[in-house]
This record gives sequence, structure tokens and C-alpha cells, in this order.
Amino acid sequence: MQFLALMIDGFRESRDRKLFWVMLLMSLSVASAMFCVAFKPNGVDILFGTWQIETDVFTIGDEVRADIVATVLVEWIADTILGWIGVIIAIIATAGFFPTLMERGVVEVLLSKPMPRWGLFLAKYLGSMVFLLVHATIFVGSTFLVAGFRWGVWVPGYLLTIPLVVLLFSYLYCVSVLVAVYTRNAMAAVLLTLVAWTMFATVQSVDDMFVFMPEWKEYRTAYQASQTARWIVPKTQDIPILAKRWAKAAAAVELMPINEEVGHKMRDRAEAVERARMAIHPALTIGSSLLFEAFVVMLAMWKFSRKDY
Amino acid sequence: MVAVTEMTNWAVDLIDVHKTYPRNIQALRGVNIQVGRGEIFGLLGPNGAGKTTLVKIMMTVVRPTRALGTILGRPIGHRGKLAATGYLPENHRFPGYLTGAQVLDHYAALAKVPRALRRKRAPELLEQVGMTKWSDTRVDKYSKGMLQRLGIAQALMNDPELIVLDEPTDGLDPVGRRDVRALLLNLRDQGKTIFLNSHLLSELEMVCDRVAILVNGLVARQGTLSELTEHTVETRITFCGDTASVEGDLKKIGVKLDGSMATVGGYSPEKVNKVIDVLRKEGLTIESVQPHRFSLEDILVEAMGHVPGADGRAGAKQV
Repeated sequence: MQFLALMIDGFRESRDRKLFWVMLLMSLSVASAMFCVAFKPNGVDILFGTWQIETDVFTIGDEVRADIVATVLVEWIADTILGWIGVIIAIIATAGFFPTLMERGVVEVLLSKPMPRWGLFLAKYLGSMVFLLVHATIFVGSTFLVAGFRWGVWVPGYLLTIPLVVLLFSYLYCVSVLVAVYTRNAMAAVLLTLVAWTMFATVQSVDDMFVFMPEWKEYRTAYQASQTARWIVPKTQDIPILAKRWAKAAAAVELMPINEEVGHKMRDRAEAVERARMAIHPALTIGSSLLFEAFVVMLAMWKFSRKDY
Repeated sequence: MVAVTEMTNWAVDLIDVHKTYPRNIQALRGVNIQVGRGEIFGLLGPNGAGKTTLVKIMMTVVRPTRALGTILGRPIGHRGKLAATGYLPENHRFPGYLTGAQVLDHYAALAKVPRALRRKRAPELLEQVGMTKWSDTRVDKYSKGMLQRLGIAQALMNDPELIVLDEPTDGLDPVGRRDVRALLLNLRDQGKTIFLNSHLLSELEMVCDRVAILVNGLVARQGTLSELTEHTVETRITFCGDTASVEGDLKKIGVKLDGSMATVGGYSPEKVNKVIDVLRKEGLTIESVQPHRFSLEDILVEAMGHVPGADGRAGAKQV
């Protein structure tokens, strides 16, 4: 009963943020824009016949067409709009949840209820994720339906993007909450979360460089440090890869035309990175990232529970 | 550290409560307070005496450095007993996105009140605090007085055995204060125990059965209002005429003379008669004889002078 009350409160608090409506508008705009595009045998129709682009791309078979649509959905639409813009909006919108909870006059009533502090903390933490859960569902759900009904391509695996984006947000939100509990400052929480996200991505990119440039592995200390760091930090860059894999989207490299300037060697190396990324074990990447998240949440929860208000 | 003492029949039985904040600031230095079941108990004291800290310790908002005793017969912080306690903190704030009715439902759900009961009690309590027509209005549109009324309703949603109210009449107009007083007396008649923390001494005087005066982290006085005032009665006798002629005789009796007013300390009809005899003997006109009971304010001021470390200034003691 208490947990449900705090989840409902999480939704109400999310709904009260202006950014909630901005994100809703964004989701509906993307779905509407997609709806205005139709794939015909002779090309692409935009705005119900206003413009037509002639191409034979969509005559090359249903399987390839499904691959392309899945790639467009996951890599171009979900990853860019939801995975970047959406997550940043969610970080900003939810950063104030814990500082508000811990304000004088607010926290006293909550702590006087027959609920352990860790329970209150966890319920509030999970309740805050409702913000992105609602939007991920609306965004993915609407684009999924448009792709199915309008484009004739159903990509059920694309729906798994919903939990994956929420998972990505949770990797970052734990940092936001930790900063919020220590500083009670929403601005500090946003800034340090974005710094942490950049750091997580950098750690993974450095590790990818060792695959792209195998000769660098000779620097054993640097290589081992990179490997260790990769397993410690949340693997935020693995989320779009998992989304792509589960949606059965084509690898980006497969769609990349061979450029003489780049050359076959570079393409081979890019393929190696892509292969290494696609070979990641979901349980391993998610599990190790959740371990990091659990550690950070425990730290924040400890501080929250030990504090006098 | 919170330890359990033997089970008592007190609603609140706090023993040796200490709280030391970081940088060695002692907010409470061994507080002992007992509140009987079914009584209205008032906690008073100057700013910084530790009243709010004590209330927050009772409600598990602040962790004591050391505390023995029980609340409703169980150790402080017992979840079952917290569910049977209603609490209104000072300067409380509810989420602005909730309506009055949603506030009551939300906090009652956190107090484990079943849904059916919440739906039944919320309109009743809103009616009781005069907020029915505002029940569907967002809380961020409420005035301070309306928030206070809603806060009181919130504290009663779980039909508590013990109600802890920190400055319940803060922000209320005179009619609102009267309504709250009537509500408190009504709750006491229903057998509820009420623990009031207020700086409005006159408010406490009107409703409390017993009070404790907290000064500098210690209980300076505790008892019923009559217990606290019986030893502090004085009689003031005003007269007109030549003061010099009676000054010597009155001093012999042990009477304080201030212009044309003689003050007899304590309850002593014999002394009062002796003063009247002296005045009449000298042919002075007696204008009035008034027994004067000390108010809570007088007791508080007097208590502040009797507590070690209380130098008349408010504030927690730093050691």
C-alpha cells in the first residue's frame, strides 16, 4: 500500500513538471512526422502526396525493408531522440525530486509514517523512474504502431527499447540521487550526472579503441586499466547496442558504403568494433552495470537513512 | 541509542533523552517527560530550548544520542505505534500538485490506513476542519491557515491514539484557533492523548491538563497547571496615603513594598491580614486586595532562571 502510494505520487510529481508535457509533445511530434511518411513500391511519399521521392530501395525485399525500418526506429529515432534528448530531459526533470523530499516541512511528515527510511527511499527512487517509463512507453509505443500500420513493418523487438531506456536512465539517475542526497541541490545533481555520463561513455570508448587499434594492446597497463574500468562503470553505450540487437536492426557498418578514402582496412576495423559490441552478453553488461547502480544507491540510501532532519 | 524500559501505562514516557548535534551542540541534556493517556499535554519553552528536537525524536525524524522510554507502551520508533500516532510538524509543506483530498489519501496510505477507511474519513475530517469546499483545489493555492487546517486533518486520518502537534494554531485567525481548541478538547473527550508543542502560552493554558517547561535542553518544571501555580501565588494590596509611615512595619512582616502597592509572596492569608491591620492602624485607605496567580508566562520566565546553563538567552548549549 505504501509502495503503491509513493509510485502514484511519483507519477503525479512527474506530471507536474513542465518538461513532462514538453516530452509528450516531442513524442507525439515524432510519431506524427513518421505518420506523414509512407513507403511505396516506387519510392517515398511525404505528407500524403505533397512530395514524392523516387527510389528502388524498398523493392529489394521484405526482409531488408524490415531491417531498414528497424534501424531507422532504433538507431535514428529511439537512440537519438529518446536515448539522448529524452534521457537528458528526464535527468533535469527528476533532479529536484529528492532535494524537495528532504526539505524541512516535507520530510518530517514522511519520516513519521510507519515505514523504514530505506523503504521510503527505494519507493521514491523507483517512483521517480515513472517519468521516463511513461514517456518511453508513449514514444516507443506510438512509433511502433506507426511503423506497423503506416509502413507495414512490425518490429516486436523494438518494444524492448522501453525497459532498456529506463535501465539507461537508472544507471544515471543513481548518480543524480547520490549528489542530491549529499548536496540537496538539483542543479549540482544535473551537472554531476552529465559529467558522470560523459565519463562512463569515455571509459567505454577508450576500451573500444583497443579493439579498433589492436596494436595498442602492447601497452599492457593501460589496456588492463581500461578493461577494469569498463567493468566497473555502467555500460551506457551497450544499451543502444542491445536495443538494436533485440530489434534485429542491421548493424550500422553494414549500411555504411565503402569509401575509398576510408579504405577497406578502416572498415574492417570498424566491423571488428561492431562485432565486439554486438558480442556482449546482455546479462553480463546489465548485471555489472546494475552492481554499480546498487552500490551508488546503497551509499545514497545510507546517507538518507542516517541523517537528522 | 534507544533502549526499552519496563512497560508503563503512560502514553508517552521519555526517560533521559539526550541529543548532541555535530560540533558538540547539546540540544537535549537528559529530558524526562511523562504524558498520561487521554490528557492534553503542553510542551513549552523559549526558542532553542530543544522542544522541536524532542518532538522530532518522538516521531523518528531525529535520531537521539541516547533515549530510554516508550511511546504508547513500545520503544520509540516502533512501527505499529507510529501507525497509531498522528503528527503535524511545524511549518509543514505538502506537495503543491496534490489537492486537499489527495493529500489526506496519500499520507493516510503511508500510515497504512485501508483504502475504504481513507475514503470514508477524508470527507469527514475535511468537514471537521472546515475545508470541504477546498478539497479538490490544489494545495499550492492554499493560504497558510488552510494548510494548517489540512495538516491537522492529515494528522487525524489514521484515527490515532496519540496526536503530536507542533504549533497547531500557527497561521490561524482567532476563529480558527478557537475551532482548533474545540477540536482538541473533543479529541481528548474521545480518549485521545494530545502532545502539544506551542509557543503561544495562552493557548496552552486554555486546553492543557499538564505542561512541561523545557529550558536549555532540560525539563525545568512539569506538572498540572494548578501544581505549577499553587506555590507561586502572591497577593497585591494597593492603598493610598503616606507610605513612609508603614514602611518599617511592612518590612518587618516580610512584605515587598513598591510605591503604594504591598506584595505578599506565596499563599498566606495570615500575612495579608497583618498587612491590612498595619495599614488600617495608620489610617491608610485600602483600595484593593488582589490574589494574583502566575500565568504560564510568569512560570516560564521564572523557570528560565533556575536551569543550569540557562543564562536567559535562548539557544542550544555548546560544550
